[in-house]
Amino acid sequence: MDFAFTKEQLMFKKEIIRFAKKEIVPRVQEHDLHKQFDFESFRKLGEFGILGLHFPEELGGGGADVITTVMAGEALGEAGVDGGLTLAYGAHTFLCSDTIYSHGTPEQRKKYIPKLASGEWIGCMGLTEPNAGSDVASMTTTAEKKGDKYVLNGSKIFITNGPIADVAVVYAKTQPEKKHAGISAFIVEKDTPGYKSGANLIKMGVSTSQTSELFFNNCEIPASHLLGKEGDGFNMSLQTVEWDRSALLAPFVGAATFMLTRCVEYAKTREQFGRTIGQFQAVKRKIANIRIFGEAARNLVYRIAWCKDQKKPLNHLEAAVAKLFVGDWSLGPSNDAVVLHGGYGYCHEYDMERIFRDSRLAPIGGGTSDIQKMIISKLI
Amino acid sequence: MNYDFSEKEFSFFIELHQLLAKYAEGKKLDDCDLAGSENNLRQATAMLAGTPYLKLAIEPVDGFNGLLTLTGAWEVLASISPSLYISVETSARIFGRIISAWGDDVQKKKWLPEILSGKVIGAVGLSEESLNIDNAPLATLGVLNGDKVEISGRKQYVVNGPMADWFAVVGNMGDKPAIFMVEKGNPGLIIGARSATIGYGGAAISPLELKNCVIPAANVLFPADAKSMTATLRLWENQILMGASLGLMKTAFESARTYAKTHKTGGKPIIAFQEIGFKLSEMLTLFQTSQLFAYRTAWTSEKDPKEAESLTLCAKVFCTESAEQVACEAMKILGGAGYLSGNAVEQAFRCAKYGQIAGTSTEIARVKIGDTALGLRN
Repeated sequence: MDFAFTKEQLMFKKEIIRFAKKEIVPRVQEHDLHKQFDFESFRKLGEFGILGLHFPEELGGGGADVITTVMAGEALGEAGVDGGLTLAYGAHTFLCSDTIYSHGTPEQRKKYIPKLASGEWIGCMGLTEPNAGSDVASMTTTAEKKGDKYVLNGSKIFITNGPIADVAVVYAKTQPEKKHAGISAFIVEKDTPGYKSGANLIKMGVSTSQTSELFFNNCEIPASHLLGKEGDGFNMSLQTVEWDRSALLAPFVGAATFMLTRCVEYAKTREQFGRTIGQFQAVKRKIANIRIFGEAARNLVYRIAWCKDQKKPLNHLEAAVAKLFVGDWSLGPSNDAVVLHGGYGYCHEYDMERIFRDSRLAPIGGGTSDIQKMIISKLI
Repeated sequence: MNYDFSEKEFSFFIELHQLLAKYAEGKKLDDCDLAGSENNLRQATAMLAGTPYLKLAIEPVDGFNGLLTLTGAWEVLASISPSLYISVETSARIFGRIISAWGDDVQKKKWLPEILSGKVIGAVGLSEESLNIDNAPLATLGVLNGDKVEISGRKQYVVNGPMADWFAVVGNMGDKPAIFMVEKGNPGLIIGARSATIGYGGAAISPLELKNCVIPAANVLFPADAKSMTATLRLWENQILMGASLGLMKTAFESARTYAKTHKTGGKPIIAFQEIGFKLSEMLTLFQTSQLFAYRTAWTSEKDPKEAESLTLCAKVFCTESAEQVACEAMKILGGAGYLSGNAVEQAFRCAKYGQIAGTSTEIARVKIGDTALGLRN
């Protein structure tokens, strides 16, 4: 065992933190308050190379390994980037772009990856439906082949980047009777007739990310927009789990470090009863709890990333454990951070309430904690 | 970066498990009288001396990774018998590391081979009545008189106290920190009666008193300074308690899982009920998270000892609290069967509490972690 990051990785992480603090974080509060997507920050993430970090250089990527890619997500959280933007980045890069990259033809890769890696285009992924969440096989969106086209009908819900996406990876049934094996994946571009997104859904957290329904009404797409083969869709969606349990969880780990830093700063300056509150054991306890959570969570996330780098097949048990831990055990520390700041913690200006709201997504998005427990209890 | 043990390490863990499981067959390792405890400890250490186990983190072992490999091995021994584990570790690791870290060449030659071959059992007298040992100076004192040293003091909660051959008694001599090596039977060494404890029923814990206890001056070790000495001793204790927690969680989780798969109610195994399956999922989450946390902490201890101080406290709090939660939930899964004395889950439940009390208590640990973050502690 060796838990060391390379010098280059550590330097890169510092660079990302410096970049994010200068170029993104100053606009976070305003965008969160108004529940607006920060297009400028997203474009800057693209310019910096984060949106396509793990793609090959010839497709506009950075050629980074998984560990470095996950570290980028942690760095964004650590810098204080809001959960909305990191979620948008995750949905764009890993759920949309990576699916096209991993399963697309050379032509599909060439057409989409450079634009997605640069941030010129924004991507989303449409899987969940009003009556098909974790029970993917229940999806009712269909894709019927007619000549050299597929005709999509149905709707999707809770789609991150839905209202702003230029391109979507959409899962639909080509053979409804086959359940999981009848699901296929397609690339759908924004202005395709019959495709439209709904209004932004107002959420309790990750507010800068834009979330909506997607509607497909006799939406015709070229047959060449099929990803992989018919019936491969379910397995493609499962493959995103590796990223979901590493890169998409990493910002939560980074956010723990951010909370720790901010709580320490506050505790060192806020005075009550003639001394800084950091001298009270109850405050130290909260600070300790935040650090303990962050340290424990970090190992789980990087283990998934390391296994992916080693081309090991995803260990679904470990993946579910990582998701469950980050999801459920992050709630206590984010609550501690709010309470430690007292009234200020309840106010927008001090960031802690935002992180508290953002962290509520961790036990829900990408498979709820109960779903993770179902997976674990079946596997053991 | 590498998040896996090597094949050689995995093989070692398997062989160790087979060896210990065979040894434990039919024995009551965690509930025995003093003679039984001592017999088990001597047999087990002699047996372990035939493997790399006792040497790990004390001497280099080819192909192994010191404390990191040891942490994996700890889980094996602690899952077979927590009592044997705590006794062996006190002797080989804490007593052994004291000699290894602070003994001169003559002292190392005198005690280390004996400890690492399992011929001698060691105990360590650290804790005194003053609860906050980090802030209060130790009251145990040695006075130099020619080539002899006369020691006076009292120690409490000494693991292996009633059965050790040698005692490493921590105190001061003049204004220097000192560790006095006292042999069993030395006049002035008074070993108290074995304490009754709620867990670790196969270990023997007692108080000690040193009353005008005279030892050769050559039997005194001099660590560099008192602060680093107590911090190092606590660090070693905390590491061992982390290892114990991993073993307790393994036992509790596996026992509960087996029970949940075999015990039926309403015509189906109880694991089929979400309330049970989900409970097991949470237990496994705590267990696996603790494992990785302990491994990274062990690795950090060897690569960056300064960083490891605070990280070890974080891991110690997490692992020991997780062990208590896992054992508690396991007992609920076993229901009435878990509440009966003598089963592995009930034993893990009783042992788990010790982890939060011994070493740096979880309360003090959190204060220290907070102090480090706040810059109030180096």
